[in-house]
Amino acid sequence: MPPLRDLFFQRDAIRRSVIASYWLAIILALPLWWNTTTIYRLSLPSSRVEAIARNKLLLPISICLVTNDHSLPGKLHHHLVRSTDYWKVLDVHIFGDLDCSSLGEGVYRVAPGIGLPDLHGRTLLFPYQDEETLPALADALSSLIVPYSSLPDREHRVAQYSPRYRLAFSLLNEDASAGNVILNWDVKTAIHRHITPILRSLSMFHNFTIESQVQFYAPLAFSPQLLEDGSYGLTHENLMVFINSAEWTLSSSASNDPVLHFILFVPSADRKPLRILDADGNPSTSNSFLLPQWGGIVLHNPSNFDESNDASILQASFSAFSHQLLSLLGIPQLPSGIRDTASDSSIREWQLDALLRRRTLENAKGSQDTLKSIIKLVDQIENMPVGQDVKGDVEDALEELTKMYGSATSSLQQTFRHSALALGLASRAFFNPGMLALLYFPAEHKYAVYTPLFASAVIPLFVAALRELKAWRLQRKAAAATGVQN
Amino acid sequence: MWNIRYFLLVGLCVPTLAAIESFFEELSLRNLNDGKVASRFSFTTRLEGVSPRDPRTLGFDDEAQHYRVFPLALGQILREYGVSELHLTLNAGRWDYDRWGYPEEKGVGTGAELWAWMGDGAPMSIDNRWKGLRNALAGLFCASLGSMDELRTTAPSQAFPPEGRLPSVDLPHQLRHASLPSEHVCTENLTPFLKLLPCKSLSGIASLLNPHRLFDADWHGMGVHVLWGEEEGVEVRLAFQSVMDPLRYSLSMSRDWSFQSLFSRVINKTCPVAVSSRVTVALPQQDAIEIKPNPSIEGEAAFFDVATVAKPLNVGMHWQHNFQYPLGEPIPLTPLSVQRTLKGSSQDRGQLSLVIINHETTTVYARYLETMPWLVQFHLHTLQAQVKGITSGNIISNFTYVPAVPHSRPTTFEAMLSLPPRSTIHLTMDVTKAFLRYTEHQPDAQRGWDLPPAVITPVEPLNSRMYTAGLLVDLATPDFSMPYNVIIFTCSLMAFIFGSIFNLLTRKFVVVRLD
Repeated sequence: MPPLRDLFFQRDAIRRSVIASYWLAIILALPLWWNTTTIYRLSLPSSRVEAIARNKLLLPISICLVTNDHSLPGKLHHHLVRSTDYWKVLDVHIFGDLDCSSLGEGVYRVAPGIGLPDLHGRTLLFPYQDEETLPALADALSSLIVPYSSLPDREHRVAQYSPRYRLAFSLLNEDASAGNVILNWDVKTAIHRHITPILRSLSMFHNFTIESQVQFYAPLAFSPQLLEDGSYGLTHENLMVFINSAEWTLSSSASNDPVLHFILFVPSADRKPLRILDADGNPSTSNSFLLPQWGGIVLHNPSNFDESNDASILQASFSAFSHQLLSLLGIPQLPSGIRDTASDSSIREWQLDALLRRRTLENAKGSQDTLKSIIKLVDQIENMPVGQDVKGDVEDALEELTKMYGSATSSLQQTFRHSALALGLASRAFFNPGMLALLYFPAEHKYAVYTPLFASAVIPLFVAALRELKAWRLQRKAAAATGVQN
Repeated sequence: MWNIRYFLLVGLCVPTLAAIESFFEELSLRNLNDGKVASRFSFTTRLEGVSPRDPRTLGFDDEAQHYRVFPLALGQILREYGVSELHLTLNAGRWDYDRWGYPEEKGVGTGAELWAWMGDGAPMSIDNRWKGLRNALAGLFCASLGSMDELRTTAPSQAFPPEGRLPSVDLPHQLRHASLPSEHVCTENLTPFLKLLPCKSLSGIASLLNPHRLFDADWHGMGVHVLWGEEEGVEVRLAFQSVMDPLRYSLSMSRDWSFQSLFSRVINKTCPVAVSSRVTVALPQQDAIEIKPNPSIEGEAAFFDVATVAKPLNVGMHWQHNFQYPLGEPIPLTPLSVQRTLKGSSQDRGQLSLVIINHETTTVYARYLETMPWLVQFHLHTLQAQVKGITSGNIISNFTYVPAVPHSRPTTFEAMLSLPPRSTIHLTMDVTKAFLRYTEHQPDAQRGWDLPPAVITPVEPLNSRMYTAGLLVDLATPDFSMPYNVIIFTCSLMAFIFGSIFNLLTRKFVVVRLD
C-alpha cells in the first residue's frame, strides 16, 4: 500500500487549487450577482440640472417713450426700478423717440395723452410733460408691466398653472322642496355671453372643458347665524367651511385636470336671505366670495316677486363668475386710473403680456425646482429605481429649459411655450409611478434571505482557506529552517 | 394641434340646443308566495336628443356638458370612455326563481356584475377603455370593480345582447363582461348611488331608501343601467331591489306591511323635479286584503301618485288571514329550475354539475353560459348530458368555447340546450382546479374562491335571464408562514451538500498508526 501522501488527490497543490477555484468561482460570480440584484438606476444629468437651476430668467421689455427730451427715458427708468422689487426679473430698456412709429413687435409705446390714461393695443396714452408727472407714469407702467401683484392676498388666489382646466358650474339649491328655488338655468347662454370671450382670449395659455350641473338638495354643514333683522349671516369662519364636499358631489373622477368650481348657491326658503358678514359682523353688500385656487361662490336670495326674471339673475351671477375666473387665472387688474373705453371688459394686450410673463417665470421656477427635487430625492433614497422614461423626461425638460433661455430675448410667447412644456415634463418625471417600485423592499429583508445560505456556505470556505494559509506558512518556515540547517 | 383648437372653439361658441332632461321615479311592491315582499325602486333619467359619444372623437376634447337632473359624475365617465350601453349590478344573496319568479330587474347574479357595449374606432383600444371604465366606476361606487381585470373579463356573444339600441355610426360594437361574485354590496355603495339621484334620499320615493333596513333584507341588490334609444336618448336607470320578510318581524304570522314597517320611513315630501313619481302595489289574487290609503286600481295593481296624495304617505297592506306556510313543494314560478354544483373532494380535480328541470309541457330552448376564471379549467370532452340516467346526444348544440389561458384569460363556454318537456337534465363535466402561484392567492386564501354564476337565457320568453348560485372552489392553499421556513430549510440543505462536497475535496486523509 502506497503512503497516503503519495495519492494524487492528496497532494497539497491539488487541494490548494480546489480551494482557490472555489474562491475564484465566488469572485467571478460576484459581478453577476451584483448585476442581477441591483436596482435599475440610470444616472440623471445632475450637473446640468444644477447648472440650469442656477440661471434666473430675465425677461426683456422695451418701452418707447414719445418725447423730444432725451433725459426723460433715463429718469423714468430710475423711477420704475425704484418702485418695486419685482423689476429684478425684468430687463427694462427705455428709449425715447419723436413718434415711436416704426417699432418691432412687442415694444410698448408710451405717448402723451389728454385726460385719463388710456390703452390702445400696446400703446399707453398718458398725460405727461415733464419730470413732475414721471412718478405717476412710473406707477401706471409698473402696475401694467410687473407680472405680480403687490398684494399678497391677490397672489394666493391664483391657481397653479396647468395646460388644461375644467370649469364646473353648479347651481345648488339648499332645499328644493321648501319652495322659492331655481330649478332650471339657461347656463349655455350665460356661459356663451360671459365666459367664452375670456376663454377665447386665454386660449394660448390653457385649454378648457366646461361642465355644469344642478343640484336640488345641497345642505350646508353648519347653520348660519340669525341676525337681528331676520336675515341669516355667514361669518368669515363659515365661509371657510362653506363647501360641504361630503354632501355635494361637485367633481367627478373622470380626469386628472384641475377643476375650477363656480357655484350659484340658493339658500333654502326658511334661511333667507343669506348674507355675507364683514369683519365687524355687519351684512356686507357683496354676495359673492372666492376660495383661493378653488373657485368662486355667488349667493342668490330669490325674492318672492320677481321669480320669472331668470336672465337677470344669471347675468349678475355670471358676471361675478367671470371676475372670479379672471382672478383665479391670475389676469392682472388694470391700474385704477386707466380709462375703461372697451365696454365689453375684454382682456387687454398689456394684461395678457403681463400674464405671459408671470406664467413663464412661474413655470421656469417650478420646473427648475422640480428637477432639483428629483435629483435630491433620487440621491436620498438609494432603493429608488430610475428608468429610461424618467431619465428621458428629465432630459427633455432640460432641453426645453435650454430652449426657453435661448428664446427669452426674442419671443415671449415662445419662451412661455417652452416653460410650460418644461414644467409638464418635469412634473411627469417627478410623479412617475415606476419610481416607487422597490421602495418597500428593505435591505433587512434581503439579508434575512441571504444569510441562511451564504453564512453556512462561506464559513467552511473561510476556515479552509485560513487553515491552508497557515499550513503553507508553516511549511515555508520549516523549509527555511531546514535550508538554514543545511 | 390647430384642428383640435378649432374643434374646441366651435364647441365653445355654438350653444347647442338644450337637451330635454326628465326624471321618473317608481316603486313597485309585490307579495311573494312565501310571505315575503319584493320591492323595486327605479329611478330613470332621460337625456333626450343626445346620443352616446362617438368613439372616434375620444382623442379630442369633449364638448361642454350641461346636465340638470342627469348625474354629472356618471355622464362624464360615460363620455370619457365612449360607452354606448352599461350595466352594473351589485347584489347580495341568491334570487330564488322557484319561489319568487323572474325579478323585475334581470341582473340578480350574486356579487358584482358589469357589462358594457362600446363602439370601436377610438384611438384607445376597447380593452384600455374597459379598464378605465372599471376603475372609474370603482371610484364612483366605492366597489372593488378594479379587480375585474383580464382574469375575469369575457366577451360572450349571445347572452348579453344590448337592451337599448346601439348607435349606428358604422362602427362595430364590442361587449365586455365581468363578474366578481365575492363583492358584497353595502352602505358604502348605496351612499354614492343616492348622490346620483336629483333628490338624493331627501324627498320623493328615494327617501324610503334606508340603508339600515335595505341591507337587512333577505335579498338586496342595486343596479345602474345606461341605455340608448333613438327617441328616448340616453337613459340612466338606477334601480334597487330587495326582498323583505314581514313575517320575520311579526309575532302573529301576519303578512301585514307598510312603508313604516318595511323601511322605517315614510314619504314626507315630493321630489320637485320628478315628471312622474308613483308607487305600484301588485294585488294578490286569492287573499282578502286591504290597502291604505285609498289607491287607484288598474287591473291587478294599485297605484299611488306621490305628487298628489296626502303626505306623509305610508302605504300599507293588511291581510284578513294570517299566513300559513304552504305545505309540500311550492309550484315553481319559472319554466326552468336550475341548480349548479361543483363536486369532488380533492384539491386538484372535480366535476361541474348542472341540473336543469323543465316544468313545461313543451321543449324549452335555452342558452347556457359559463364564464369561468382560469382557476377552474374545463375538460370539454367529458361534457355529458343525461336525461333520466340515459346519455342523450342531442341536448347540447351550437356551442362556442374559448379555453382559459392560465394566469390570464378566463374560459367562456356558451351552448344551446334543448330541454325535453317535463324532465330533469343532468349536465356534467370534469374540471381541473388550478395550482396558484404564491403571489396569486387572495388575502383570505383559506376561504376559497368564489366562482361567478352561470347564466341561463331561455329563448322564450324573450329577454329573460336566470343566474345560478355562485360556487366556492377550494384550491390547494399553502401555509403562508411557510416561505421563510422553506428558504431556511433549502438553505440548510444547500449548505449541508456544499459543505460535504467541499470537505471531501479538501480533506487531508492521514494514516494514523496505532502501535
